[in-house]
Amino acid sequence: MTFLRILNLLVIAVLVSAAAYVYKIKFDSTLEAERLAKLQLEIRRERDATAALRAEWSRLDNPTRIQALAGRHLALKAPDARQLVGLDNLPPRPPSLVPPGSDDPIGSIIEYIEEQEVPTGSIGASLRRP
Amino acid sequence: MNDASPAAPASAPQAAAAPKRRSLAHRLLYGANVDRNVKARARVGLAILAFCMIYGAISARLIFFGMHADGQVARRAASGDAIGTARPDILDRNGLVLATDVRTPSLFGEPHRIVDVDEAVELLTAVLPDLDPRETRERLSSKRRFVWLRRDITPEQRREIHRLGLPGLGFLPENRRMYPNGSEVSHTVGHVNIDNQGIAGLERWLDQRGLADLHLAGFAVDRLQKPVELSVDLRVQHALRDELLVSRDKFKAKAAAGLVVDVNTGEVVSMVSVPDYDSNNPKEANDPTRINRLTTGVFEMGSTFKALTLAMGLDSGRMTLNSSFDARMPLRYGRFAIHDYHAQRRVLTLPEIFTYSSNIGTARIALALGVEHHKAFLKKMGQLDRLRTELPESAEPLVPKRWGELNTVTIAFGHGLSVAPLQAVAAINALVNGGKLIPPTFLRRTEEEASKLAKQVIKPETSEKMRYLMRLNAEKGSARKADIAGYYVGGKTGTSEKVVNGRYSKTKLLNSFTAVFPSDKPRFLVLIMLDEPQAVEGTHGYATSGWNAAPTAGAVITRIAPLLGVQPRFDLPPADRQILASAGLTR
Repeated sequence: MTFLRILNLLVIAVLVSAAAYVYKIKFDSTLEAERLAKLQLEIRRERDATAALRAEWSRLDNPTRIQALAGRHLALKAPDARQLVGLDNLPPRPPSLVPPGSDDPIGSIIEYIEEQEVPTGSIGASLRRP
Repeated sequence: MNDASPAAPASAPQAAAAPKRRSLAHRLLYGANVDRNVKARARVGLAILAFCMIYGAISARLIFFGMHADGQVARRAASGDAIGTARPDILDRNGLVLATDVRTPSLFGEPHRIVDVDEAVELLTAVLPDLDPRETRERLSSKRRFVWLRRDITPEQRREIHRLGLPGLGFLPENRRMYPNGSEVSHTVGHVNIDNQGIAGLERWLDQRGLADLHLAGFAVDRLQKPVELSVDLRVQHALRDELLVSRDKFKAKAAAGLVVDVNTGEVVSMVSVPDYDSNNPKEANDPTRINRLTTGVFEMGSTFKALTLAMGLDSGRMTLNSSFDARMPLRYGRFAIHDYHAQRRVLTLPEIFTYSSNIGTARIALALGVEHHKAFLKKMGQLDRLRTELPESAEPLVPKRWGELNTVTIAFGHGLSVAPLQAVAAINALVNGGKLIPPTFLRRTEEEASKLAKQVIKPETSEKMRYLMRLNAEKGSARKADIAGYYVGGKTGTSEKVVNGRYSKTKLLNSFTAVFPSDKPRFLVLIMLDEPQAVEGTHGYATSGWNAAPTAGAVITRIAPLLGVQPRFDLPPADRQILASAGLTR
């Protein structure tokens, strides 16, 4: 009988602790759910704020507005097709005019120019020829 | 429970007779031979313990609430979600925003909970000065349970109203559609009504594709929908619109319209029809002068159609570029006589017919092939049926009911058949892109997708010859003013007389210009239309297309070609060498 009594006590203890454990899990999950809902709300708020900012940015970035501002404040002009050059149309990189370690840099530049023609600019070859 | 009875050891000997299985507490509380005093004390003790536990649990929970008070806010907020439909963002081809949702609070009232209507109205009008006091008072005094007071207020106003502390007022977040670019892309994007439902343009197309059903089912509340990417390039759109506005003012035209289409994919890169309206202010859209002329209107396209007639002649195999037609005398047909605007009074070859824009010549080409051939060709090019795109607005072409020889004669040079300009552009596209008729689209499309949809309508050689003719026209013909250095532009002018009171008017013109660039390997097609332009200073008294629409197209191409990534090339040989010879064709 002592054995049965101990078993009873044991079962009751297990039952109580199981109930307590379940309660804890439920409580924790409720907490987590609340935290999740809160984070989701925050995410939504952030996303709304981002959307509002993006809309505002597109309004400020609108080409008509930029053109008006540029026209008022800048001295820039629309580019001409001749100002656009592809990489393969670039002239070769000029050789260094001043040899390293030279003690008379200006003199060597003058010397170099006298020796040969320096390629300049990006105008097509046919235009340079007379 | 066993430990709940302090008197347990005292009663143990008396309970010897009771069955051993009965619990200690049970024996204590109900046993027959237990002392009544002990029994009562045990029962009271048990009750005390039970109550202690209950109150302990409650106070623990209260302490917890006190510490995590904000945990409850989330639940409450999640239930009061936005009620306006969320719509997917609309982006241009570079990802710039064309239309987006902004969540704004809206103010509502619950009249049965308002204590003092007059006070509420007074305080509210102090915060919202443009609120109509009389109407607000009426609404708040009504028997309804819910009234909207003001849709779409600012967060500051919301804060101030909240601070008034009036009962019976509340806020609901609502999605409001915003178009940051205003009128720039309005005809393509369209607009929505106050309940965020698309009623025009691509917004309506979105709803027709199931967004409306989604909304009804209550799913479309969050902005987690995939944005829609258009084929439109906002920068090109702006450049085109800007130039059109300049031209419209300069030539005192009633309206102007322009299109930029990718020749190889059929994507509409830009579509402008001015006067237009602001998508944020849909009321303007009801003004009939602000319609989209490119899809909703039908027009006689004038000489632009000559390109189709010449392509038909070349594609039939019965004519070559060296074929010639008699244009010495006006073409008499019954009581009508067809004249040439730039009359040469001699026999013209096919390229000359194109560059001099000879009505007589084109009419003779069409007559030589016959009415049925002409009709079948235009049908094949999609000029006789309504063109459907994503835009819900589309117009049916006006086709003559009885199509006789006279109709063929006039339609050959673009009179007597009215089509939507976008439709004509799709056909001209096919003439220069190698002969593939591709339905135009406002959404992104790759070349592979386009070639699946494409229908081969003319031979590639014919297309090669049409490129040559278009380029030749810019070198020697009426399109010279559009020949922008570096982009090898080709084009065809079109000047048609508008019908006023059933007669062709000599002064009211509808000018168009179709340009392709670069002509040897076309990438983009530009259409410019000017409605009733006037002869102004610098045009020597002319109001024809070569003097106004062509230079406008030139200005547009100068601006958009760098944006579209077209490399300028200089010092290219003339058309017969660059296009014909390289394709292995000869005149």
